[in-house]
Amino acid sequence: MTDNLQVSEPLEPGSGLSVGSRGVFRRIVLPILVIGVIAAAISWLESRGGDDVSPTGERYGPVELPAAVRTAGLDIGTEEGQLAPDFLLGSLDGGEVRLSTLRGQPVVLNFWATWCAPCRKELPQFVAAYDRHRNEGLVVLAVNMQEGKSIARDKAREFGMKFPVPIDVDGEVGDEYRLLGLPMTYFIDRAGVVRSVFSGPLQERRTDTDVRGAIEQSDLEQRIAQIVGAGPP
Amino acid sequence: MERGEALSGRVQVPPAPRGWSRTFGVLNPLKAVWWLFTNVRFALVLLVVLCSLSLLGVLLPQKPLAVRGDAMLEAGWLKMQEGKFGFLTRPLDEVQLFDIFHARWFGILLALTAVSTGAYVVSRLPGAWRAVTQPRKRVPDRFFETAPNRLEVAEALDTERLEEALRRARYRVERFDEAGSTHLFADRFAWGGLGTLFTHAAVIVFLLSAVVSKADAFSSPLFLAEGSTLPIFPVRDANQMQVELRDAKAQFAADGQALDYRSEISIYRRGEELKRCTSTVNSPCTFAGYKFYQSAYFGFGAEVQVRDLQTGNTIYRETLALAGTAKAPHVVIRDGAGTVLVDQTLVLTDQLNGKDFTYRGTLVRLPSGRLVSVGLQTADDGDERLAVLEPGQGDGLVQLSLAEGESGDSGGLQVSYQKAEALPYATVPDLPVPATDAGAGTPALQLSNVVYGTDKTSAGDATPAALPGGPTVLTLTGLAAQAVKLQPGESVRVGGYEYSFLGQREFAGITVKRDRSDYLVWAGAALILAGLMATFWVPRRRFWAKITATRTVMAGQAPAHARYTRELKRLARRAGSAPETLKDEH
Repeated sequence: MTDNLQVSEPLEPGSGLSVGSRGVFRRIVLPILVIGVIAAAISWLESRGGDDVSPTGERYGPVELPAAVRTAGLDIGTEEGQLAPDFLLGSLDGGEVRLSTLRGQPVVLNFWATWCAPCRKELPQFVAAYDRHRNEGLVVLAVNMQEGKSIARDKAREFGMKFPVPIDVDGEVGDEYRLLGLPMTYFIDRAGVVRSVFSGPLQERRTDTDVRGAIEQSDLEQRIAQIVGAGPP
Repeated sequence: MERGEALSGRVQVPPAPRGWSRTFGVLNPLKAVWWLFTNVRFALVLLVVLCSLSLLGVLLPQKPLAVRGDAMLEAGWLKMQEGKFGFLTRPLDEVQLFDIFHARWFGILLALTAVSTGAYVVSRLPGAWRAVTQPRKRVPDRFFETAPNRLEVAEALDTERLEEALRRARYRVERFDEAGSTHLFADRFAWGGLGTLFTHAAVIVFLLSAVVSKADAFSSPLFLAEGSTLPIFPVRDANQMQVELRDAKAQFAADGQALDYRSEISIYRRGEELKRCTSTVNSPCTFAGYKFYQSAYFGFGAEVQVRDLQTGNTIYRETLALAGTAKAPHVVIRDGAGTVLVDQTLVLTDQLNGKDFTYRGTLVRLPSGRLVSVGLQTADDGDERLAVLEPGQGDGLVQLSLAEGESGDSGGLQVSYQKAEALPYATVPDLPVPATDAGAGTPALQLSNVVYGTDKTSAGDATPAALPGGPTVLTLTGLAAQAVKLQPGESVRVGGYEYSFLGQREFAGITVKRDRSDYLVWAGAALILAGLMATFWVPRRRFWAKITATRTVMAGQAPAHARYTRELKRLARRAGSAPETLKDEH
């Protein structure tokens, strides 16, 4: 086979590979590459960008924190001591949730999904905590990650989640909050400052003592006490 | 062939290697590298080395996947190899001969082979293309004397007839008239000359597919319970999809052999169900370039729900895989008249730890109201026997002790220990337990009267536990002092909680895969087939003839398997030559 190739017509000096391959590259390969890159970029942007918008036309996802609620000297971020990034999401009940409008209230921002077993086991604790502290202004936001309303609704009803359940369909808010996995919970005080972050399921009820007492000693309760106790800005 | 080319006075393509020293003599390292990669011998050396190393990789034990990357496991595995390789173990490991196919140098060798093959094809392409599109149509006279396939006819053949014969043989013919002679050039299957290039290109495509597969292939194993959903990608992935297992099905032969597993699944993206399909082991469901294969099946799951009665809210709802087993004796008890009082596999729920034995048993209430405790007693030495105790007969003394298959009398009862069976079992430490009943132990589940499949799935009929004892029963221990038994759909209130057995569920392993190198493998296979077919079925044939007043000389080029001299004779005969005028010179 190799012989067959070698027994071919004579090459003109200087002809062949260099000039030919360059020409082929310029005329065929390069345009195909450019078109491919553009097509890939468009495809990525299309898949990235969601089409969920609020009734006012504002796109759901992370939004700019309004200047009116910014605090001088505090950066916006997800680290403890930083101002929690703002977002606008549609919620299960058909309404909307904008984090910055909850300024003045302590917020437990929990990211969850129905497929996440630790999340399922943790949810009843948030339900109970919300019932105990709602009179103190506590807001629980259980942001469902990328599942959509139809899937989240049944679980929310079953577990008695009376607090807002925003849906992060595209995962952009989760991206903004740099989720390492699910569940992940941010405890935000009345000033909008992230007081603590917890990755993984929060301490569950102990069975070797009085239930109420166990909850009061739990990690969740301690963290809630931290944000509820912080005074208004 | 080479001989003929040499005689034609042409320059070979590519030019004969100029040699390493000469290349460096002009201080052109790029040219030297190009020369190296287009050198056939270099490519052959690479291939021989690769083949030898691959053979070595087959002969030498290679680190198992489960061991790779874990220093402790690797050390243990190497320790085992020392028995076979002795002091050579460490050096062999150092040069990665126990992990050849993942060694960096092996990857480099593969890459070099790909580059070499690619450079070879690229370097030959212009020449091969020209040979197809601009073939050499005139050859010197000496070529007719030395060509590997040649024929001399001692007469002047009729040029028109020869042309006609060539055209009938599907040659493309050109004629050149000169003073005193006529030259013919004919070409058949000109494109067949590219067959070899196709074959070489296929090698590149195959190597490329390996690279693409390594860099781009995606595989995500999921293990789902019926009714549950799992994501395919890590959380936050913008293209996240979820798979829901709607229904897992399994079919078994009468001897218990699995015949078929299949799953009805739904695929969701951005909260919308985009596809509903059936996935099997060999026929995956396909969506958005991903394939969803059925990779596993497990039939013993129980969906359990716990509600807080005070709030009415569900505080626990999980489908639990009962992957462990608990021994359960199948016992037949008859009265003195031989009437069967009990014939069932007993779920053992109570445990008693003695000084030198462990007893796991259950209370059995006979039709007369009499209570006996039947269970398995395990001695410290591991000996396990069926024990029958009768409360009130003296500090729980064993009335009867039987080995599997034995029978005996106990207080007027004929007890027969038929056999030991195994029931699906799991402990569930995180099952909510009423605080008031704390101390009952770790909650545990056992499924009895189980069958593979549920009411909405396959109905396996070969499972030994599929007894005519009614529907599946879930036995919960650890909630209260007494074990709780629930049939599908039943609930029980313990403390402030309501426990419900929602039903038996099945699990399916679904492996989501994407390997875009598939297309390259197909392309490579098509190329190699096209190349081989072109080379062997339609080999290129080139024909030159010179016709003078007294003789006709013919020469041709074709692969050896084309037996071209015979074709030359055939052409000559069709052109009207007498057999005696043919002078076969080759």
